[in-house]
Amino acid sequence: MSAWLPALLAGRMIRLGWLLPLAAAGLFALISLAPIDPVQAYVGGRTSQIGPEQRDAIAAAWGLDRPAAERFASWLGQLARGDLGQSITFNAPVMQVIAARLPASMALVGLAFALSFVLGTLLGLAAGATRGRWPDRVIRTIAVVLAASPGFWVAILLVAVFAVGLGWLPACCATPPGQLASEVTPADSLRHMVLPVATLSVVGIAPLVLHTRQSLIAFLDSPAARHLSAHGASPLRLAFGPGLRHAAGVALTLHLASAGELFGGSVLAETVFAWPGLGQATVRAATGADAPLLMGIGLATLLFVFAGNLLADIAARLADPRLRRVA
Amino acid sequence: MSGAVDPTLPLPARRRNPRRRATRHGVVALALLGAVLLAAPLLPEGALSIDRAARALPPDPAHPIGTDMLGRDIAARTLAALAKSVQVGLLAAGASTLVAVVLGLAATFGRAADHVVGVLTELALGLPHFVLLIMIAFAMGGGTTGVVVAVALTHWPRLSRIMRHEAQGIATSDYVAISRALGRSRLWVARHHLAPHLVPQIIAGFIVIFPHAILHEAGLSFIGLGIEPHLPSIGVMMSESLREIMAGHWWVAAAPGLGLMLIALAFERFGEALRQLSGPPGATT
Amino acid sequence: MLRPLSTAVVALSLLLPAQSEARSLVLAIGGEPDGGFDPVMGWGHYGNPLFQSTLLRYDAELNLVGDLATDWSLSDDGLVWRLSLREDAMFSDGTPLTAEDVAFTYTAASEAGGLADLTVLSEARALDNATVELQLSEPRITFVSRLATLGIVPAASYDEGYARQPVGSGPFQMVEWREGEQLVVEPNPHWHGGEIAFERVSFVFGSEEAGQALARTGAADLVGVPPSMADAAPPGMKVLHVETVDNRGLAFPMRPRAGETTEAGTPIGNDVTADRAIRVAINQALDRGALVALALNGHGRPAFGPADGLPWDNPEAAIPGNDPAAAMATLEAAGWTDSDGDGIREKEGLKAAFQVLYPASDSTRQALALGASEQLREIGIDAQPTGSSWDEIGALMHSQVVVLGWGAHDPSEIYYLHHGDYAGVDYYNTGHYAKPAVDAHLDAAEAATGFDESLAEWQAAAWDGETGFGPKGDATWAWMVNLEHAYWVSSCLDVGPLQIHPHGHGFPITHDLPSWRWTCE
Repeated sequence: MSAWLPALLAGRMIRLGWLLPLAAAGLFALISLAPIDPVQAYVGGRTSQIGPEQRDAIAAAWGLDRPAAERFASWLGQLARGDLGQSITFNAPVMQVIAARLPASMALVGLAFALSFVLGTLLGLAAGATRGRWPDRVIRTIAVVLAASPGFWVAILLVAVFAVGLGWLPACCATPPGQLASEVTPADSLRHMVLPVATLSVVGIAPLVLHTRQSLIAFLDSPAARHLSAHGASPLRLAFGPGLRHAAGVALTLHLASAGELFGGSVLAETVFAWPGLGQATVRAATGADAPLLMGIGLATLLFVFAGNLLADIAARLADPRLRRVA
Repeated sequence: MSGAVDPTLPLPARRRNPRRRATRHGVVALALLGAVLLAAPLLPEGALSIDRAARALPPDPAHPIGTDMLGRDIAARTLAALAKSVQVGLLAAGASTLVAVVLGLAATFGRAADHVVGVLTELALGLPHFVLLIMIAFAMGGGTTGVVVAVALTHWPRLSRIMRHEAQGIATSDYVAISRALGRSRLWVARHHLAPHLVPQIIAGFIVIFPHAILHEAGLSFIGLGIEPHLPSIGVMMSESLREIMAGHWWVAAAPGLGLMLIALAFERFGEALRQLSGPPGATT
Repeated sequence: MLRPLSTAVVALSLLLPAQSEARSLVLAIGGEPDGGFDPVMGWGHYGNPLFQSTLLRYDAELNLVGDLATDWSLSDDGLVWRLSLREDAMFSDGTPLTAEDVAFTYTAASEAGGLADLTVLSEARALDNATVELQLSEPRITFVSRLATLGIVPAASYDEGYARQPVGSGPFQMVEWREGEQLVVEPNPHWHGGEIAFERVSFVFGSEEAGQALARTGAADLVGVPPSMADAAPPGMKVLHVETVDNRGLAFPMRPRAGETTEAGTPIGNDVTADRAIRVAINQALDRGALVALALNGHGRPAFGPADGLPWDNPEAAIPGNDPAAAMATLEAAGWTDSDGDGIREKEGLKAAFQVLYPASDSTRQALALGASEQLREIGIDAQPTGSSWDEIGALMHSQVVVLGWGAHDPSEIYYLHHGDYAGVDYYNTGHYAKPAVDAHLDAAEAATGFDESLAEWQAAAWDGETGFGPKGDATWAWMVNLEHAYWVSSCLDVGPLQIHPHGHGFPITHDLPSWRWTCE
C-alpha cells in the first residue's frame, strides 16, 4: 500500500518539472504571435482622449518596446520567483487576480463535479441494469444528446425556462443586487448557483453515464455476477450493490481525469450567467489582449488538469491494486 | 462541450449488424450535411436582411421560427449560420486530421521523433481543451482563421495515437517484412500495405473530430473570439440571443442550438458506428 | 409556449427579500473599470470619478465651473495654469486635501503610462497649501478637459492597492467592490458638495442582459438598455432618452487617388470623393430627419457637425440638407452629368460611385448606410453599402467612404479629426485632410489663453467665412445623426436635468448622481 504512492508522486513531479517550463515557453510564444495591439485594446473607446504620445508611454510602461526575447527572459525570471507579472486589464498582479477569481469558479466546478459524478454513476448503473429495455434506451439517448449539445445553449435554455419563463431562479450573477457580501444569506447564494451548476453538470455527465453502463455490463457478464444472479439476486440489486463497488472506482478515475473539461465549460457558463469567476476573467483577458493574465491562467489551468490526472491515477490504483505494480 | 462519448458495448450481432448500422448513421449524417450546404445558397436574396416592420415576432406562418429584435427571420438565419458552421467545421476537422496523420506517422520515424510527438501530445492535453482553444484563437487574432487553426491544433492527439499504433503494427508485421525482403520499395509498401489500413482509420477519425470542431467553433464564436460577428454563425446568433431571452423571446435561441445539436449528434453517432466497425476501440486509445 | 412574463415578475418579487428600511439605489449601467478606481491610471474620464473630486467640472450646459478650485487662470503664454483650492475639501478618511495632493496626482498621472493623457504637463507644483501651478510644455487649451476629469488622490496614503480601495474627496466612499459582480458605495460624510438622498448606491456589473433581467424583476432602479430594447420598458419603469453627441457620419477620403499607400500598404485617396462638389452635394441631399426615423426609430437628432450643441460647435458651418435640387445643381455646375442615362452621373468618364463601408455587426450603421445610399441614388450618386469587419474597414478607410462615429466632451477630438498632423493616424483623420488655413485655426485654438477664447478658433476651423472643415467649407464629413442613449428608470427616481452625453453609454448618466432624488414614499 505505501510503496506505490511515493513512486507515483515522484514520477509525476518529474513530469511536471519538464512540462511546466515547456508549457510556459509554448504559451509565451503563442501569445506573442497575437496580432492584436494591446495598447489599442486597452485604450478602447477612449481613442479621442489618448494621443499618440500617451500610447507610446503606455507601451513603454508595459515593456512592449523591448524585444520579445528580453521580455520572455524577464517574465521567466519573475516566474521563477513565483511572480506571474501584472495584469493589464485588471491593473493588479496576475496572482492576485487569479486568487480573487478562483473561489467563485471552484465553487461552480466543485459542485458540478460532485453532482455529475453522483448523477452520472447512478444513471449509468440504472442503464446497465436494465440493458436493452426502455430505461436503458432513454438514459442512453439523453446522454448522447447532451454530449452533442453546446453547453452554452443548454445554459440559455435553462435561463429561458427557469428564470424568464417560470421565474423560479435568478438569471444571473452570484448574489442578489444591492446587498453586501455579509448580507447575502446562504440560501440566496445557493439559489444563484442552481442554474450554472446544472449547466456544468450536464456538460460532464455523458461520458460518465456511458462508461459506467459499460463497466457494469462487463461485471454483470462476469462469472461472479452470474453466480450471484443464479442465487436469486436481481439485476438492480446486483447493480447498486457489488456493481456499484465495481464501477465506482473506474467512474471516479474517468471523472477526475476529465475535471479539466469542467473548467473549460465554466468559461462558457460564466459568460452566460455573468458569474464573477476565472472563466469571465479569461474572456476579458482574451478580448482585452491581456497577455500576462492569459499566460497566468494558462499555467494555473495546467496545474488544475495535472492535479486532476494525478488524483485519477491515485484513484485508479486504489480501486485496482493490480495497477500499483506499474508506476 | 464535453469530451468524446466513449463506446458503448455493441449490442449482440444478431440484433445489430455494425456495418449496416454505420451505413444507416452515415446516410443520416451526410443527408443532413448535404441538405444544409445545398439549401443555404438557395435562400432568397434579402432573407437575411433587417426588417424593421417585423421585429421580435413569435413563430407564425410567414416566419416559421419567428424573428429577432432586428426583424431578421430566424429560420433563414439559422440555415445560413449552420452552413457557415459546417463549412468552417469541415475545414477545421480536415486540418486537424492532417495534423494528426502527419504527427502520428512522424512518431514512427525512430525513438527521438516518437518522444517529440509524445511531448507535443502532453502539451496539447495539458490545458483544458477550451482554454487552449481560447489561447490559440487569441494568438491568431480571432476570426475564422483563428477558429480553424485553434481547432486544428487541439483535436489531433486521439487520432494521432491511433495512426501511430496502426502504422507501427503494420510496419513490424510479417507481410511487410516479406515484401521488403522481396525487394519492394518503401513507397510500394506504403501504398499497398499501409494505405489500405490507414485510410479507413483516417476517415473515421475525421468523422469523429467533426462534431467536436463545430461545437468548439460555436463556443469560440459565442465568447467573441471566433467567426466574425457580421457573418451569420451559430455562436454569434446565440450570443445575440442572450439579451432577447431576457425579454421572453425563447425562439431566438431555440432553433440555432437545436440545428447545431442535430448535426453534431448525427456525426457523433456516425463516427461511433465507424469506430466500432474498425475494430475494438480499447486497443486504439 | 412559456408562461407570460408578468407571472414571472410576481413570482420572483415574492422570492426576493424586502428592502424597505433604508432608501438604497441599484444601478445596472455596466462600465465596470476592470483596473479599479485609480484616477492616475485613467479612472473617471467621463468627469465623474465618484470617489474623487476634480479641480473643475462641467455643469449641465457643459460650462466649466469650479469644484475643488475656487479660482483659476492661465498665463498669457498659455503655459501655466494657476488654481486656488477651496479649503474645506476633505478626503473620506478625514484628512484635508491640499495643493500637495493635487501636485502629486498630476505628477503621478503624467508618469504612470495609464489612460490619462498628460503628456503635455511638464511640472506640477504646490505654491502653498491652497495654490497649485501646472506647467505645460506647450500651449494646449484642451488641457482643461484634464482639469475637469482627473480626480485628486491623497499623496499621503496613495499606494499600489489604491485602485481597489480608493480614498478621495468625492461624493461617495467605497463600501465593497466584488469584482465582476457589483460595487456598493455610500455617501462620503466629509464631502463638500451637500446632501445625498441615498444611503447606499449599488452598481451591478456582469452583463447588459443581466441588468435587463434585474429590471424586469424590479430589482434595479436604473438600467442601460440598447436602443432596440428601449420601448419595451417593464412596469414601474419609464424610458429615459438622453441626447448625446454620440454621432455617426460619412468620413470622406479627401485626396485623389495618386498611387500613395499607408505604411501597411493600403491605398490612399478616392477620385470621386476628392471632388468637393460631390461632398457638398451629399451634405445638401441627405435627409437626416428621415435617417433618424429609419435607423434610430426616431430616437435621435440630425447631426450637422462633429459636436452639435457643444460650446465649440459652429452652427454656421452646417448645410441643412434635404434639398436634392440644390445638390443636383451643385453636381451639374461641377460637371457631373448622367450622359449614358443609367441614373448615375459621370464626369470625364469617371462614375460618381464609391463604397460606403460599415461594420456589418452594427445594425444602426447598416441602416444608416442603406438609407443614405437610397437618398443619394436620387441625385445620381451610386453609394454602395458594404458590410465588413473592422479589420477590413481599417484597410479600406483611406480610400473609401466609411460610417464612423465620434463624440466627446473635449474639443481635442476636433483637432485629431481634422488636423493635417493626424492624417492617417489610427481612426482620426482617415481622409488625409490637410489644409493650412484649418490647421492654423486648430493650432490657434490650442494656443488660446483661455477656454472661452479658444471657442472662436474651434468654430473658425469649421467655417471662418471662407473655408473650414465643415460642410460649407471643404465638407470633410457628411454627419448624419446623433444617437440617443436609452435607460429604463424607476418611475420614482428623479435624475434632474441631464448633460448632452458623450460617446459612451452607461457611466455618463451618473454625472449628477449626488443630486438625484427619490420621489415616492
